[in-house]
Amino acid sequence: MSRVAGGDADALGELYDHYGRVVFGVIYRMLGSPESAEEVAQNAFHSVWRQARAYRPERGSVRTWLLAIARNAAIDWRRSKGNRAGRETAIDETLLLVDERRVEDTVIASLRAQRVRAAVASLPREQREVLSLAFWSGLSQTEIASRTGAPLGTVKSRVRLGMARLREWLGDDEVRR
Amino acid sequence: MTVHPTDDLGALALGALDAEEARAVRAHVAGCESCAVELRALEEAAFAVAETAERDAPDRLRTKIVERARREGPQRRAPPSSFPGQFRRPVPLAIPLALAVLLAISLATYAGAQRDRDRYASALSGIAGARVIALAPTGEVPGVRGSLVIPASGAAPYLILDLPAAPSGKTWEAWVLRGETPLAAGITNDRGVTTLVLTAPLVSGDGVAVTLEPSGGVDRVTGAPVLAGKT
Repeated sequence: MSRVAGGDADALGELYDHYGRVVFGVIYRMLGSPESAEEVAQNAFHSVWRQARAYRPERGSVRTWLLAIARNAAIDWRRSKGNRAGRETAIDETLLLVDERRVEDTVIASLRAQRVRAAVASLPREQREVLSLAFWSGLSQTEIASRTGAPLGTVKSRVRLGMARLREWLGDDEVRR
Repeated sequence: MTVHPTDDLGALALGALDAEEARAVRAHVAGCESCAVELRALEEAAFAVAETAERDAPDRLRTKIVERARREGPQRRAPPSSFPGQFRRPVPLAIPLALAVLLAISLATYAGAQRDRDRYASALSGIAGARVIALAPTGEVPGVRGSLVIPASGAAPYLILDLPAAPSGKTWEAWVLRGETPLAAGITNDRGVTTLVLTAPLVSGDGVAVTLEPSGGVDRVTGAPVLAGKT
């Protein structure tokens, strides 16, 4: 990151080599279109290039910082395009995400992805649903309550319990790069 | 006794809080080490889920990203530092003077902005262990609000901003004003409520301003302040 912050474009390429697949994959899953994902991923890495000096290691890993930028770029793109269809696609795919009968072979190949999948799959379905709607669709708790018909307090409780469980499973050094 | 927003940290990590809630919780976290540690762990967990989405990207994407970076060159903002003199830049005299005049005008309207400041301060009531200074809107851009937060812990000062979308080709840029020298202090393209850590050192007596500048930020002020205040 320090080389990227210093203006080394080759270092940005190396950053892409390391994180490009996950960044592109996250954006693709959120938008449901390879063309849009390519455009937004390019913009996300451009934001990284411009903001590299603002990265603070003490606030989190490079991976999480970069994925947060990518996720926000996808949410902004969807809002700017009013891409309702993309949102619906993302939600459907997300719900399938935790169905072990439909796991993609390429994902199974990743041990870390398997561990994450197992953690998500261990959550009660209603907790998986609210976490999916929040993470992949960019919905707030209020929007989730409105969308699902569940009381806001219930949605908040599900988010809190689900995140506590994920943190217990995944919030350690083993899953970080 | 400080009340920690423990129940909301997971939702914040997911980006699932409404804007007002997120602002209050982020303000608390900025001044609370234990909540900051917990939030970081929750964010790592939330974004670990992204692993399940890995996917091959088109080969041309890497080339596009690197060539665009080469074409535009390094970012032009000031990097963060604890050495105040390092980032002073020579600037034309007229520009900082113009900015200083506009800053003076905006501070003169400070009393008129008092009601907004009070409302804004109440929205920031979740901040603990920090000094909060409301920035006065200059009227250049309607609806802009912002506050400067100086954590008592000695952590980097930051702005909490409520911004409309920047016009195409523009970005919001923060400045630290020391005497006649504006120091570039960070950019953001966010809209709505956001935080911006100042990347230029801030000492007592400095002014702080926010302007609209060309995308990518600039080293020398070109736009009129939209927010301004003084430490």
